[in-house]
Amino acid sequence: MGFNKPTWTPGRDRIGSSASRSRRLAEIRERRQRQTRDRLAARELEGSLLSLAALLGSDVKAADGNTIGSLRDVVVRWTAGAPYPRMTAIVVRTGKRDVLIGARWIEMRPPATVRLRSSKAYARAVERHPDDVDLAQDVLDHQVVDSSGTQVVRPADVYLAETDDGIEVLGIEVGLGALLRRIGPSFLRSRIRPQHVIDWQDMASFAPARADGSRPRGRRSDMAGRAGTGLELGGPAGDVKRLSPSEVRTALRAYKTRSDRDST
Amino acid sequence: MTAVDTPTVRKGGRISRLPPWLRRVLPLLAILGPGLVAANAGNDAGGILTYASAGSQFGYRTLFLMVLVTVALVVVQEMCSRLGAYTGEGLGALIREQFPLRSGAAAMVLLFIANAGLTVSEFAGIGASMELFGVSRYIAVPVGLAAIWAVTVFGNYSRAERVFLAMGLVFIAYPIAAVLAHPHWGTVVSNLVWPHFLHTKAFLLLAVALIGTTITPYMQFYIASAVVDKGVTPDTYRNERIDTVNGAILSDVVSIFIIIATAAAIGGTGPLSSVSQAASALRPVAGAAASQLFAVGLLGASVLAATVVPLSSAYAIAETAGVERSLSRKFREAPVFYGIFTAQLVIGAMVALLPGNLVELVINAQVLNGFITPVLLTYVLILANRRSVLGAAANGRVFRAVATVCVSVVAVLSATVLVQTVAGWV
Repeated sequence: MGFNKPTWTPGRDRIGSSASRSRRLAEIRERRQRQTRDRLAARELEGSLLSLAALLGSDVKAADGNTIGSLRDVVVRWTAGAPYPRMTAIVVRTGKRDVLIGARWIEMRPPATVRLRSSKAYARAVERHPDDVDLAQDVLDHQVVDSSGTQVVRPADVYLAETDDGIEVLGIEVGLGALLRRIGPSFLRSRIRPQHVIDWQDMASFAPARADGSRPRGRRSDMAGRAGTGLELGGPAGDVKRLSPSEVRTALRAYKTRSDRDST
Repeated sequence: MTAVDTPTVRKGGRISRLPPWLRRVLPLLAILGPGLVAANAGNDAGGILTYASAGSQFGYRTLFLMVLVTVALVVVQEMCSRLGAYTGEGLGALIREQFPLRSGAAAMVLLFIANAGLTVSEFAGIGASMELFGVSRYIAVPVGLAAIWAVTVFGNYSRAERVFLAMGLVFIAYPIAAVLAHPHWGTVVSNLVWPHFLHTKAFLLLAVALIGTTITPYMQFYIASAVVDKGVTPDTYRNERIDTVNGAILSDVVSIFIIIATAAAIGGTGPLSSVSQAASALRPVAGAAASQLFAVGLLGASVLAATVVPLSSAYAIAETAGVERSLSRKFREAPVFYGIFTAQLVIGAMVALLPGNLVELVINAQVLNGFITPVLLTYVLILANRRSVLGAAANGRVFRAVATVCVSVVAVLSATVLVQTVAGWV
């Protein structure tokens, strides 16, 4: 008796279901396209972004190609007006001591090449300026809180980019992929593929460590934005956008044209 | 016990709604510091069964080891609470900031494994104690799992924690039982001040289990986080240190009495084969009710530890990742934190339901902890030695030497057993 079962059941709207199905298909297709776009963008960015995690510990070469030491830290200057802090110096470990080499002597190429521009570079003893932020010591792996004090994440990487007037910090990577890249085998370290990036412009405050090197005491979440406590986002964690690779690429292009315009 | 982010008891409104007798008792329990609480959590299912097994298998011979372990526990717990008070960060956070990412990740994996083993043993403790009441563990463990999860995620954890803690106070019966059992006090004292060790593999294995159950990694991670959360600062650290040291000593005194009571009652009868054997040591106090008394205490201790141990992994891993960790948040606001907690709880309960000897399972989990403890202690030692972390409060020369000796003795002992075990397989 089952053979003359009706193919149409009253109350079931076939047209509606096919419409929702095509909408679902369109969503899937769109997601696929977005993923492809992001993958391509990430691969393209590999050639233009500097990754702090990859830079740390890499050889610093003199102009003639000889290794003079290894990179220990990147120092940037926090200035209230500028959206992106600029690199002022690098800390290099030569032999058993650390020296500071000013940014104007330094040339960096993605993913992790650091070279001195000329054969005569001026190195001085490491000292902290009150506005200095040491990216490896103060930012990488340190707690980021949002404006309400909620603990959000610890940056897995810090991205920098070269512009006409120097190297600037663009943003922090918060994706799991960057963590795995750092934990995994070392040949993968230079495969910089941005995943989820928080634009540095979204950072409300960063109070660098105190000059005497002491750390503030108490619960981190209670002291957001105080000296030496780390990064604070400009708004609630939910409102701060995490950029996908293609958005990073767009932002980077806009940023480059802006800085070109500024310099001319 | 994880008083972390559970300030509810301090709010007068909640307390005033309780019955009067509870209102009088609660403040007494509330003043228990993290030090006392953390160390006493060591007397959980695994602890009690391991100490009882030591008493029944080797009599008083392990007592001198317990004295040494107490010294090591005091040293280690003090370092951890100092790290918490002076840096304002838990051990998970400090490890992420101060060590290369790979070693930090390795530490977290080890902590997760050690705590997974412990969670299994806590659920085994829940099953075993309910079996003393005649309830099958296939009912007790799932019910326990559901209750713990619901109370922690939805309920008022801090109040529940104090109830479990009060249930665990039943084990104060052990010192009384030890006295009533008329042990050979001369032998006890001579074993306490001079080693009477045996050169057998079984003794060595039990020694590692004793260390593993007394100096448990989760206790170190817990105390650092709890001290931070309590808001202890370098200025108020002096009181905190007293609390930490007292807690460690007091909890080990109870452990030592468990060994004495069991040794006096069933000493020399070989390894513990069932929970009711451990309960029989309480007979001088409770007579026929010994088994019920023991079951109540074991249940309280197990439920408390089955909550605290997964919580300590959740705190540590969330601290390392930098995401929100707090019991005052909802599940959706702290998904990583609650996710790790839930995962560890479920895995623990499932393994505890596998058929087999519960006591053996519990003691094996302590041995696993004994292997992992020295590795994680090395991180603590390095952190507490660093002037860049603690400034003037970093370990001094003498303290550093003592702490290094403690950690290396534990490490050598674990390594010996590990090598013997591996050689035994080949």
